[in-house]
Amino acid sequence: MTDRTTTAPPVLDVRDVTVRFAGLTALDGVSFTVAPGSVHALIGPNGAGKSTCFNVLSGLCRPAAGTVTLGGTELTRLAPHRIAALGVARTFQNIVTTHGTVADNLMLGRHALSRAGFAASALRLPSAVREQREHLARAREIAGLTGLAHHFDTPVALLSYGDRKRVELARALCLEPRVLLLDEPVAGMNAAERARTAEVVGELRAGLGLSVVLVEHDMGLVMRLADDVTVLDFGRPIAHGTPDEVRRDPEVLRAYLGTDATGEDAA
Amino acid sequence: MSDRLPAALTRRRASLPLLAVALCLPPFYLDAFWLRIGLFSMAAAIGAVGLALLSGTAGQLSLGHAFFLAVGAYGYAWLAGEPGPGLPPALAALLAVLLAGAAGGLFSPVAARVKGVYLGIATLALVFLGHHVLLTADSVTGGFNGRSVPPLTLGGFAFARSDPEPTVLGVPFGAEERLWYLGLALFAFTWFTARGLLRSRPGRALAALRDSETAASVMGVDVARHRSAAFVVSSMYAGLAGVLLALAFRRVVPDYFSLALSVDYLAMIVIGGLGSVAGATAGAVFVTALPLLMTRYADQLPLVTAPGSAEGAVGPTEAARYLYGAAIVLVLLYAPDGLHGLARRARDRVRRRRSRAPAPDAVVPPPSQPTAARTKEHTP
Repeated sequence: MTDRTTTAPPVLDVRDVTVRFAGLTALDGVSFTVAPGSVHALIGPNGAGKSTCFNVLSGLCRPAAGTVTLGGTELTRLAPHRIAALGVARTFQNIVTTHGTVADNLMLGRHALSRAGFAASALRLPSAVREQREHLARAREIAGLTGLAHHFDTPVALLSYGDRKRVELARALCLEPRVLLLDEPVAGMNAAERARTAEVVGELRAGLGLSVVLVEHDMGLVMRLADDVTVLDFGRPIAHGTPDEVRRDPEVLRAYLGTDATGEDAA
Repeated sequence: MSDRLPAALTRRRASLPLLAVALCLPPFYLDAFWLRIGLFSMAAAIGAVGLALLSGTAGQLSLGHAFFLAVGAYGYAWLAGEPGPGLPPALAALLAVLLAGAAGGLFSPVAARVKGVYLGIATLALVFLGHHVLLTADSVTGGFNGRSVPPLTLGGFAFARSDPEPTVLGVPFGAEERLWYLGLALFAFTWFTARGLLRSRPGRALAALRDSETAASVMGVDVARHRSAAFVVSSMYAGLAGVLLALAFRRVVPDYFSLALSVDYLAMIVIGGLGSVAGATAGAVFVTALPLLMTRYADQLPLVTAPGSAEGAVGPTEAARYLYGAAIVLVLLYAPDGLHGLARRARDRVRRRRSRAPAPDAVVPPPSQPTAARTKEHTP
């Protein structure tokens, strides 16, 4: 796992991905490239296909056409757990934590990096016990990094909304990811929590050099963090570029604000 | 986490040897009836822990537990006995457990793909299939009358009656006394392994599968593999319970391993509290001991008659079923986390009261930490 963090993350390349749900085209020929170590934002109005795109990247949804490659490895044929093992971690728009404490959740994030099987764990073989201790120490470190240190042994159900969102982030980080997919990491947070999360993401990128794909409605955060932005509307990519370029793009303005009252699209 | 809980943990470590000694005493003080209740309870607890892992932790319903108990019981009886290969009984016991695991493995293409309640329906087929095979495969199972179970011997020591009955500290050691210690050892092994599983990588993966399959899979958990492994492990515990039951009954008959037995095991884990080893044990003792006690004290209980006495009267077995039926309803209504949850809350209350009173030796742990530790072992 150490070699993962020292070498630069591989390029994540999304090519012409199309997803259809029974006649509805959720993604229509979406392409973008996430440069190693960059923050790539995926924005668009509700229903634009951002979360579907994440589901394709993490293997939960198989595209009808197109490819996703991570440093040359094709991801679209792999099961979610294999993609996770390659170092792609994600958070969910709606918090999806499991029962138990923060520690339990973070240790779940260590699953792909640890080996102890049923027999070794049941018999509490020294190797399994040692492995668990090492991973617990790393999980505690990551909890500290994300501001959860004092909640490490607290049941997740007792945490505030913002803290639960942070548990998801920390759990994803426990995979020691090379590519981190963040689905609305600050949705529903207050200003202070937003600032803190933005700070953490910035630190991660600087400290660990991982690539981040970010879906977010908070434009302030997107403009501050992102190197590149891809804008989706009704499953189609409509713009591409740096935050500043995208902000001035007339197509983007149309998608977000609608056309003038005379435009036929508004009807 | 262990470095954070000195007081709670040392208290637990100190109470463990005491508990072990207490559990070793009954053969010296209780007669065969009580020992048999204990023995059946221990066997049931082993099986219930297996089911708790599958249904409570992994969220997979199984109505086929009786089938795997039967595989363990008949597997041992056949492997160690005549007609059969006549293997050394200890080896036969081990192989019977592995056989139950293999049977679970054969079912795993289904167990890995079908989830929750639907698996319950699929496993229903196993019970009927098993029962049919037990009745018809005469040469192996002995048909309707079943077959007798050869006693277990370990290095020349037989877990059965022997003619000059040896006495230990003035107490004659018959089959029940000896089997008690065997049951205790197997039960301790079950606790050790099951708790080890629950608190480590595989246990967390199973709990994650139950809570959210999506989250588990993107965190790197191989869903199908863990579902089938949970099923195999649960079958092996059932097989072990089957071996111990066979030894305690000294005879295995097909009608015992019916759907009702599977339902009994579900009742145990629901009453005890889903997904906890202690809960499964408590539920197993409750469900096992109740009918036996009611049979014994039928004449002293109101509304209950001795078995087979009058028509239309409530026999002790039925009465016990009514009682634990009522217990399930009460548990589901008032204590969804079962006996284990009740005990936990009672312990919390005592501890809170104690921490409000002046501390005797100033090592009262901060309240948040023990809460966290307890929640960890209990995964509803």
